[in-house]
Amino acid sequence: MFKDLDPILHSQLRLAVMSLLISVKEAEFTFIREKTNATAGNLSVQIQKLKDVGYIEVNKQFKDNYPQTTCKITPEGIQAFEAYVHALQQYLQVGKQ
Amino acid sequence: MTGEEKELSEQESLRLIASMIHKAKGGFHETGTSAILWGSAVAIPGFISFAELKWNFYIGFDIWLLTLAAIIPQIFISIREGRRRKAVSHDESVMNAVWTTYGFSIMLLVIYINVMPSVSDQLLRADGVEWLEHNLTTGKTEHLKPYVVGQTSLFLLLYSMPTLVTGIARKFKPMLYGALLCYVLFFVSFFTSFTYDMLLMAVAGIFNWLIPGFILRKKYLKTKGTNV
Repeated sequence: MFKDLDPILHSQLRLAVMSLLISVKEAEFTFIREKTNATAGNLSVQIQKLKDVGYIEVNKQFKDNYPQTTCKITPEGIQAFEAYVHALQQYLQVGKQ
Repeated sequence: MTGEEKELSEQESLRLIASMIHKAKGGFHETGTSAILWGSAVAIPGFISFAELKWNFYIGFDIWLLTLAAIIPQIFISIREGRRRKAVSHDESVMNAVWTTYGFSIMLLVIYINVMPSVSDQLLRADGVEWLEHNLTTGKTEHLKPYVVGQTSLFLLLYSMPTLVTGIARKFKPMLYGALLCYVLFFVSFFTSFTYDMLLMAVAGIFNWLIPGFILRKKYLKTKGTNV
């Protein structure tokens, strides 16, 4: 029985953000934008969606008088990401048979 | 990755995940500044102390204070690198914990070496015991204040620990070999006098940190150049 792919993660930019955040302890918004080549507006929207479902934590603070947004994956986010990768593997294994 | 979101196939999803993980890993580069700083802060005092003991002169102050003074630029380096850092890797936070623990351990070892003689002397006297030094040439026997025998060996043993961890974890051979050499120097120090121990400290500073630091710096500048 196949699990449906998580619709929150099965999106190009959100999956890219989650893949970056799973590899680091935390990352600034500018780092994520640099690595994904996304526009600031689009990235903000997708980050908000990931935050709303509890997959990431977003902290806004000031650093040297400039606003700084830091993102961090949550334990729920890690669990969802692992389940997504597992579901992908299942699909691919069936494709091979 | 701009504009409209397109439907991903399973293969595309996996490729995207792999590429992002790879990109995240590529974002971390050691500047090598701290390694160069600490390599110099151990190698220079090591060589100067060796020269002072070997050729009987004194430069007017304890050169090992330079190692203590190196903490000040290290604080500035840490603040500056922290500001530039846009992401913290898991690996990096573990390495920071290892080096912080090492810093505390070195500090505590220095305190132990300085406090231990007076305290031990008092404790021995309280038990009605004292250490005596018998000069075989003059035949004189005098009171001897207890001291930590083989201090250099303890430092060499401690120097190699964080370097070896970093070398293994980061798969960075110059630090791995530097740390292994440090273990060799640790064994050598069993058989050398305090004068030559200073030379061993200098060699440890050069191979443990100074050379790996220059290699890291070169790599960092090369990567920085290609990213511009």
